[in-house]
Amino acid sequence: MQAFAPGIYPRSEQLVQATRDLDRGRTSPEAVDEQVERDLAELLSVQQQAGLDLLSDGMLRWQDLFRPVLEAGEGLETGALTRFLDTNTFYRAPHATTATPKLAVPLEKRFVASLPAPRLVTLPSPFALSQGTGVPALTIAENVLRPALAAIDAELVVLAEPFFGREEATSPTELAEPLAALAGGPKLALQLTFCDARKPLEQGLGELPVDAIGIDFYGTHLSDVPKGFDKLLLAGVIDARSSTLEDPRELASFADRLHNEREVEKVALVPNGDLQFVSERIAREKLLRLGKVKTATVQAAA
Amino acid sequence: MKLLTHEIGSLAKPPWLVKTSAGSPLEESDIEHARRWGAKLGVDGHEELVETLERGNPDKAELGRWASRYALRLLESAGIEVVYDGEQQRTEMYAWAVEHSNGFEPRGTVRSFDNKYYSKSAVTAEPSLREPYHNDEFAFLQSVANHDLKIPVTGAYTIAVWSYDEHFGPQSGRIGAGHGRSEELAARREFANDLARNVIRPNLESLIELGAKWIQIDEPGASTEADELDIFVESFNESVEGLDCFFSTHLCFSDYDLFFPAIEQMHGCKQFCVGFANYDSRELGTSGADRPGYEVISKFRDLPYEPILGLGVLDIHTDFVESPELVRDRILYATEVFGDPERIHVCPDCGLRTRSWEVAYEKLRNMVEGTKLAEQALATAGATT
Repeated sequence: MQAFAPGIYPRSEQLVQATRDLDRGRTSPEAVDEQVERDLAELLSVQQQAGLDLLSDGMLRWQDLFRPVLEAGEGLETGALTRFLDTNTFYRAPHATTATPKLAVPLEKRFVASLPAPRLVTLPSPFALSQGTGVPALTIAENVLRPALAAIDAELVVLAEPFFGREEATSPTELAEPLAALAGGPKLALQLTFCDARKPLEQGLGELPVDAIGIDFYGTHLSDVPKGFDKLLLAGVIDARSSTLEDPRELASFADRLHNEREVEKVALVPNGDLQFVSERIAREKLLRLGKVKTATVQAAA
Repeated sequence: MKLLTHEIGSLAKPPWLVKTSAGSPLEESDIEHARRWGAKLGVDGHEELVETLERGNPDKAELGRWASRYALRLLESAGIEVVYDGEQQRTEMYAWAVEHSNGFEPRGTVRSFDNKYYSKSAVTAEPSLREPYHNDEFAFLQSVANHDLKIPVTGAYTIAVWSYDEHFGPQSGRIGAGHGRSEELAARREFANDLARNVIRPNLESLIELGAKWIQIDEPGASTEADELDIFVESFNESVEGLDCFFSTHLCFSDYDLFFPAIEQMHGCKQFCVGFANYDSRELGTSGADRPGYEVISKFRDLPYEPILGLGVLDIHTDFVESPELVRDRILYATEVFGDPERIHVCPDCGLRTRSWEVAYEKLRNMVEGTKLAEQALATAGATT
């Protein structure tokens, strides 16, 4: 049993104010940088205190899931401001100006912060990044994400996929080739965030060429997980869109059921998507509870 | 041919109001802002405000009223015909509503986009109105406005969908239960309709009693959940049914196709003001191919109760200032699609609070100028046919 927190973590109230002030010309980029560093240090401390297995930088400088990749790309740019799923948070939709966009430069270091190992990094999945651009996911994988991965030193790279599970006319087979093109570097997880993964699971999601699969268990029924699922399962048991704090006993009970009822041996407890949809104060408490459950479960098993 | 122009809602707050509200000291540049804009917009007695700011320790409520005067004059001076005060006296469209209602608790700050954020609350008990929360503001604006007023009121569905639910839906037993959408829908319907009945409608009744003629129900969250559009419609109808006023609704930054056919049931809505410019090209032209952001407007045209379309022609997410000619072409395309220019009003995509006053003012002036160009073009076309 492991636990960690991929995705975009919320900014502290101090960083919120600093970035607001920056936009209004009332503070300097240097002052914002200093606050980002303080937020990052605090986030690392919370993860360590919670006993999480892989550390994340919380993507504190990312304005959305795609922006730094688009900015580092050639033939990619930001498009219209677009609602992110059913949230009140918006992102600049990826837009392609060529049929063969590529990564022009590695992702800037400030977008993939140096952390103590072991660590995880989150990137958009090839399918998510290709959405709306007219560029096939395979091209995105080969030209954009593979070069980005080559420069990343991490135990695990989580490919966040918010759209695939909501598409009616898709099948996991469409993801096989793009994901295979990313193999050979760090271990990869494909996380289907904020969705019911029943259909993709039925259609062979677990067979995709990645090391781990992430499922949102606020959208997906436990019984939809194939018995004996043999990859690492990133179990989305923290609801990143709800202010309600999860009951550690309920989390522990669910982890037991994954093991006993679905015979899943390798589990990592994670949020079901970016924690940025709750405030930092709530996200912190959720992380602490996540770690508490993981620690208690591991101790009980021992 | 006359095309009515109106604003949508928010404007940025002036630095002297922001800093005073935050308890921060003012700098000379803040006072200069009050002096310069007061003179530029012809705000009566603005010297008194400047003196107050120079003296220090100003009354916050009084500063709010000054900001309202400035914002009104900014819109009037730009030539906008139906105005409000850029919501200067409100904290924010969502926060203001929940702060003045019972049943909510704050849960911190969440990102809207980039470095923009909003305060989000949770509903923790049945919501109810503590007191009508737009009356003082409206009564004040009635006393100082030179143009007609349209009052923006945040709608029930948007308040519901922007809040965390710690009351109506199940709070435990959700992990791995899956397929619980019907429970979520039932909870949201109950929440939105409670808000409509117990918070929004009493507010509207109170404003109408004060003399409100046009109330805009703001629903930027309306299409957040594609399978909840009937809840949005139901809560709108619940809010306005039987009340005697011109009701409009504001929708923005959505896949507008989603609204159809649900909004066919919104018979009480006389106007939809909708943001389109965000999705449109910046090139001139009046053909459909030139105006990709406006492709969906024929669906609004075909609604059975024939509402007016408030045509968003200013992208509020950018400092790019639309030229009068670009505004003109967007309007001409819309009037061509609608066939009846009287069913077109002209407005920004949304509130301009994320733009500086300088940028907002230039955009709005060009919107008015572009509307005049469109009127001239329509008059010329009418004269030659």
